[in-house]
Amino acid sequence: MGTNTVSGRAPSRRQVLGGLAAGAAVTGFPHIAGAQAKAIRVGMPTILSGRVAILGTSSRAAAQLAFRQINEAGGINGRTLELIDRDSKGRPDEAAKVTRDLINNDGCEIIIDGEASSGAFAVHEVIRDLPVLCLHTCSETSSLSADPKLHVKTAFRCARQGIHDAVAGGTYAARIAKQKGLKRWMTCSPDYAYGRDNTAEFLEFAKVFEPSIETVDQVWPKLFAPDYTESITKILQTKPQAVYSALWGGDLVAFIEQSNLYRLFNSITMFSGGLGDPPVLTAIKQLPPGLNTAYRYNRNYPAKPANAAFADAFAKIAGHEPTNWAWQTYLACQFMAEALKRTGGRTEGTALAGALKGMTLPAPFAVGDAITMRDTDHTIIGYPVAWGRTVPKAPFVEDFSDVDWSKIVELEAQWKKSKGYA
Amino acid sequence: MNLEALADCLSSASCAVTQVSTGLIVGMLMFLVTSGLSLIFGVLGIINFTHGAFYMMGAYCAFTAYALTGSFLAALAAGALGVGLFGMAFERLVMSRVYGRDILMQLLVCYAMILILDDGVKLLYGGEYRMMGMPDAFALPPVEIAGGFVPGYYLFMVGVALAAGLVLWLGINRTRLGKIVRALAINPQMVGALGINTTLLYAGVFGLGSLLAGLAGALAAPIRTLTPGMGVSILIESFIVTVIGGMGSIAGAFLAALLIGFTRAFGAIGFPLFVDGLMFALMALVLVVKPSGLLGREAA
Amino acid sequence: MRPGLSPAGLRRPGLARDVAIALTGLALLLALPMAFPAPALRDFLIYFFAYGLLAMSLNLLVGLTGLVSFGHAAYFATGAYVFGLLMQTGRVSIPVGVLAAVGGTALVALVIGAICVRLKEIYFSFITLAFQMFIHSVIVTWVSLTGGDQGLRGGIPRPPVLGLDLNDARTLYGACAVVFVLCILAMRQVSQSPFGYTLRMIRDNPARANFLGVDVTAMKLGIFVFAAAMASVGGLILALFVSGAYPEFAFWTTSGEAIFMIMLGGIKIFLGPLVGTLLLQTLNHFVTIYTEHHGLVLGTVILVIVLGLRRGLADVLFDWLQARRAPRAAGPAPGSLEAEPIGDGALKGRTV
Repeated sequence: MGTNTVSGRAPSRRQVLGGLAAGAAVTGFPHIAGAQAKAIRVGMPTILSGRVAILGTSSRAAAQLAFRQINEAGGINGRTLELIDRDSKGRPDEAAKVTRDLINNDGCEIIIDGEASSGAFAVHEVIRDLPVLCLHTCSETSSLSADPKLHVKTAFRCARQGIHDAVAGGTYAARIAKQKGLKRWMTCSPDYAYGRDNTAEFLEFAKVFEPSIETVDQVWPKLFAPDYTESITKILQTKPQAVYSALWGGDLVAFIEQSNLYRLFNSITMFSGGLGDPPVLTAIKQLPPGLNTAYRYNRNYPAKPANAAFADAFAKIAGHEPTNWAWQTYLACQFMAEALKRTGGRTEGTALAGALKGMTLPAPFAVGDAITMRDTDHTIIGYPVAWGRTVPKAPFVEDFSDVDWSKIVELEAQWKKSKGYA
Repeated sequence: MNLEALADCLSSASCAVTQVSTGLIVGMLMFLVTSGLSLIFGVLGIINFTHGAFYMMGAYCAFTAYALTGSFLAALAAGALGVGLFGMAFERLVMSRVYGRDILMQLLVCYAMILILDDGVKLLYGGEYRMMGMPDAFALPPVEIAGGFVPGYYLFMVGVALAAGLVLWLGINRTRLGKIVRALAINPQMVGALGINTTLLYAGVFGLGSLLAGLAGALAAPIRTLTPGMGVSILIESFIVTVIGGMGSIAGAFLAALLIGFTRAFGAIGFPLFVDGLMFALMALVLVVKPSGLLGREAA
Repeated sequence: MRPGLSPAGLRRPGLARDVAIALTGLALLLALPMAFPAPALRDFLIYFFAYGLLAMSLNLLVGLTGLVSFGHAAYFATGAYVFGLLMQTGRVSIPVGVLAAVGGTALVALVIGAICVRLKEIYFSFITLAFQMFIHSVIVTWVSLTGGDQGLRGGIPRPPVLGLDLNDARTLYGACAVVFVLCILAMRQVSQSPFGYTLRMIRDNPARANFLGVDVTAMKLGIFVFAAAMASVGGLILALFVSGAYPEFAFWTTSGEAIFMIMLGGIKIFLGPLVGTLLLQTLNHFVTIYTEHHGLVLGTVILVIVLGLRRGLADVLFDWLQARRAPRAAGPAPGSLEAEPIGDGALKGRTV
């Protein structure tokens, strides 16, 4: 039984393996999904412990789901895909180390990088050294793909990008501001590079579209702060008409619940960049209706059967709704599989990169027909960058209004010029 | 720096009330965690680096008890007593074996425990964000005091913290048992020679300190996000408070927690960007000028 | 009377032996990747060099001088950032970058140390921790210089040194090995010098040292700065290898890990911290491969070692050797562990 010769032909066995893959998410022990002879090994450095563990666990579950589906559909030219994940514990040097190990030691021919922030940059540098195909699935920092100085020939980003969100958010905020006459704005964002950049870009574009918007004050709670009372009471004192927040994850959950105690959202219109993530929405016990939020993921948007099917299949493996990181990782796996098909199963980084450049994929998450991996800067466009409003029952956000991608791309080009990136 | 805004706030009753209450809310929960840390250091002379993890345990215990029973009181009791008992067991089985040894050994044991507890929580509850939810009794609009607003739950929370602090202070300073505990801190051999079971007493004090961390965690569960590793920032924060207030001094912890609470509440109005820097600066200043802290005993 | 790094100290007996050991060690380190050419081994060893220097240098404070620093990683990070920033200008060669990073770190440590070493015991620990948090928050806040939480981006260039191309993984490894062994030798030299023995006296009896006319504060400051400089070398090795520097280098967990490496290894043998580094790195490496619950496994292993052995692994070995040697040296009194064996080996053992 040890020779694995029957791999592709025994459905019952595949189901067993699929079950094992699902079990891996629960027990954490077997780290190999769909292990078979001659498999194409794909390494995944990510964060599986600490307070952002959900980033890694949900990304991994999405990759496991995608791999299982690809393998069940016959794999790549008869070869199966095998996922090997490693916990970087949120440390960039550890992320670099496990990525090198995955490539050098475990024979991984492709890297799906589930690192956030600094970790993604560390992995990026490893890929410069060891040029296999790498898909970043969790980093939203614009410079990773926008700054030509950082360009790595075989690295791609399959994740939303800060500047796209800023344009969309600014457009949406300006429209609501015009409707409701919201002039006095405040911001409450975490005090670190992402929080500050994101907030500045949001305000910049909101003011472009609605010049009457005025920033009356800004508060900067610390990243991972447990308590937001002083920021909330400061907002109460300042009495702005609207508040923008770049808080995300557990920080945002605490901020909303603590704001509820003060009934903050009775008098203030809230705009949040991170509230649209299903685990955040489900964690909040009293979700106030009518908060404006950017899309992170929603099973009803884009309203496509494939999207709902993805949400169901994911929930079966992970035990909760997909996260923003989950759909991004799932999409990255689809891009990777398509690239492998186009190279005929060849895994050299340059060959795969050549196939990926400019690739369009009819993904479940595409707002239009397809999501494109732009060839100039190796990042995706055409994914959902909509804004919606909260409602008390699942899936908690509805009434999404999207922004025309041609407009986003146009403003992005201007922004790139102003930054000296283009 | 916006001192004008600060002056405006202080002269307006509503602003002053809201910010003073903010200072109390921030400070009192901090005091509850820190008092446990300080008590353990004062009596046992060890630094319980697992204190933040105990706070996390308290929150998760309360979360589970609330989900099972739907009773907030049961949740508080589960958080406090569960962690208190765990702390006693931890002291007996692990900490007591490294007494009198290098402080680094204690640190190492605590680090191992933090790793185990954080991973244990992730194993049991997953990495998702959890929130216990506000009990119905407190789902009321905030109370209005002189034009300022204070949420009912925070009044309750500050009340519990104050009561716990008062009971602790009275217990240590006004009871026979407290006298023994104080003696234990100064001369354990003598206390033992008088026929008092010091082993039990050590475990009891450690358990009480842990209980306070657990209670704070349980009180925080309805308003703060539960994640594995949530204890880390609390640990750092309580170290700063302990050092400023004086290692081992409950009254010092109270004073320092209030000081930091008010600095944060009014700093958010007057000098928002310096608040964190101010905490470190205050800690460094205290260490340089008076290492034993505001109300600490001079180092022997 | 004032002890210090006098010329006589440089020619102490045993130096030749130490150099011989260092050369053997270096030869071994250079031969290893030739015998086992897997790149993973080289990677593993480079991390071992970086964290090994951090742990070894911290032990100059903890084990040698009795100063328990909770903030040693601050200098590890300072070295990494100064080096990375200088190299990114594209105008400095690697040796100049290294010297500037070490010098810059020493300067930072001089300022911070001047405040810290006046404090005793746990207060020293806390103030070093406070300064580390301060440096961490400077790195995170000063985004325009350091890149904030995202770290130093864009890679650290590796221009050729003396005709050696450090972009070649094997050459880079060789260079790191040489620097590592040189630093260990320098630390050994300091620890065995009269200055090192003065530090032991300060550790064991500061009052006595004071009465003998030793300027305790100056001595402590001296070793504080030296240890920081050595830690910075570890940091820059890591920065050079991962081609970036990150604020996590300066986080308290990094300092914490260095302490665990020391404790796991033991503080009685000079190279004990290296044993601990190897142990923790190996554990971490394999546990991460086989389970995501490394916290559970690592925590349990540490508990077993601390509660079961009650000391570092190298100390266990050392005590066992001592116990074997003691009866022989002390003559007919078997089991008398207090007997003072005479000789260089014993001297080395008693003190760091």
